Amino acid sequence: MVVAVILGIALRGRSEEDGVDSFRRQIDALSSEARKPTVERVKSAERNADDADSSTS
Amino acid sequence: MARDLAIDLGTANTLVYMKGRGIVLNEPSVIALNRQTGEVLATGREAWQMIGRTPGYIVAVRPLRGGAITDFEITERMIRLLLQRVGVSRFTRPKVVICVPSAITEVERRAVTDAARRAGAADANLIEQPMAAAIGADLPIDEPVGNMVIDIGGGTSETAVISLGGIVALEAVRVGSFDIDAAIQNYVRREHGIAIGERTAEEIKVAIGSADPTHGENQAEVRGRDLMTGLPKTVLLTPEEVRFAIEDVISSIVASVIRCLSKAPPELSQDFLVRGMYLVGGGGLLRGLAERIERETQVPVRMSNVPLEAVVLGAGHVIEHYEALKGMFMGARR
Repeated sequence: MVVAVILGIALRGRSEEDGVDSFRRQIDALSSEARKPTVERVKSAERNADDADSSTS
Repeated sequence: MARDLAIDLGTANTLVYMKGRGIVLNEPSVIALNRQTGEVLATGREAWQMIGRTPGYIVAVRPLRGGAITDFEITERMIRLLLQRVGVSRFTRPKVVICVPSAITEVERRAVTDAARRAGAADANLIEQPMAAAIGADLPIDEPVGNMVIDIGGGTSETAVISLGGIVALEAVRVGSFDIDAAIQNYVRREHGIAIGERTAEEIKVAIGSADPTHGENQAEVRGRDLMTGLPKTVLLTPEEVRFAIEDVISSIVASVIRCLSKAPPELSQDFLVRGMYLVGGGGLLRGLAERIERETQVPVRMSNVPLEAVVLGAGHVIEHYEALKGMFMGARR
C-alpha cells in the first residue's frame, strides 16, 4: 500500500515534469532559429533547380 | 531505410517534402483512369493536361473536392502512386505527416491515414493545413502573440489565429479557387452563351481575374463553344465582368476571415493591427484579394514569401522535428 502511494506520487511528479519538458521542446522546435534549416534546404534546392534550368537552356 | 515524408494533399496540387532533402514532388492532384478497366493511366501533371480533353474511355479526375475526399479508393491509389514515385516501397517504410483541411471529418481522417499506411507508411499522422502554413510562412507562433494566417486553397479557405504553438480560433469554408473558376464558367455560359472548360476558366482568372480593381487592367479573348449553334466562338471578357462573376465566392472568403477575427481573444486581436494577417495558398495570389481583405477588415494583409509551398514546408519542419512536434498532430492534443 505504502509502496503504491509513493510510486503514484513519484509518477505524478514525473508526468507533470514531462508535460513541461515536452511543451518546452515543442516551443523550441517552432522557433524561427529551428525553422531556418528547413527553409534553407528548400531555397537551396530551388537555386540548384534554377541553375540546372539555365544551364540546359 | 526510407526518409520520412510530409505531404500537402491539396485539392489542386500535391507537394511532398522528404526529410533532409526538401520538396521532392509538386504535381496537380489529378489521376487519369481507364473507365472500363479501372487501370491508372496517368497522375499529376500528365493527368492534369488530359482534363476535358479525353476520349470516352478515359476519365481524368480530382479525387479531392472542396477539401473533402470524393472518392476514397481513387485517393488511396493516388497516395500509393505518389509514395512510389518518391521511392517508398514495401521494404522502405517511412513515417508520413499529411496536411489536411481542419474541417475534415473523422471518416475522412481515417481514410487518409489508412490509405497512407496501406501505401507503405510505417506511421501516418495528420496536421491541420493552417497550422502547417503558419509554420511554413515563418510566423513567430512559438511566442505568446497573435498570428493570423489565411490559407486559400483550391477547395477550402481556412483562417486561423495561432499563439504558443496552438490554434486559438479557426474558421473554415469549403470555398476556394476552384469555386472562382466555376463562377467564371457559369457567368460566361449565362451571359455570353458559350461553354468553356475548367482549364480555360482558370486561365481567365489568372489573366484578368481580380477581387478589387487594379492598375493596368485588360480585356481577355475567350474561346468556347456557342451553346445555340454548337460552333466555336470568341467573346471579349472585361475584368469588371470577372469581378462581378466571382463576387459571391470572394464575399464568402472575406466573411469567414471576419468571423475568425471576431472569435479571437482581445489580447491577441490587438496584435493583428501591428503584425497583420498572412495570406498563403494559390487562391491568395488572386489580384486585389489582399487589398480587398485589408479594406474590409481594416487589418494589414501581407503575402507570405512562399505562398504555394508554405503548407508543405510547415509539415516538412514537423517531420524534421518529429519527436518534439508530434504533440501537434490532429487528435494528439485531446
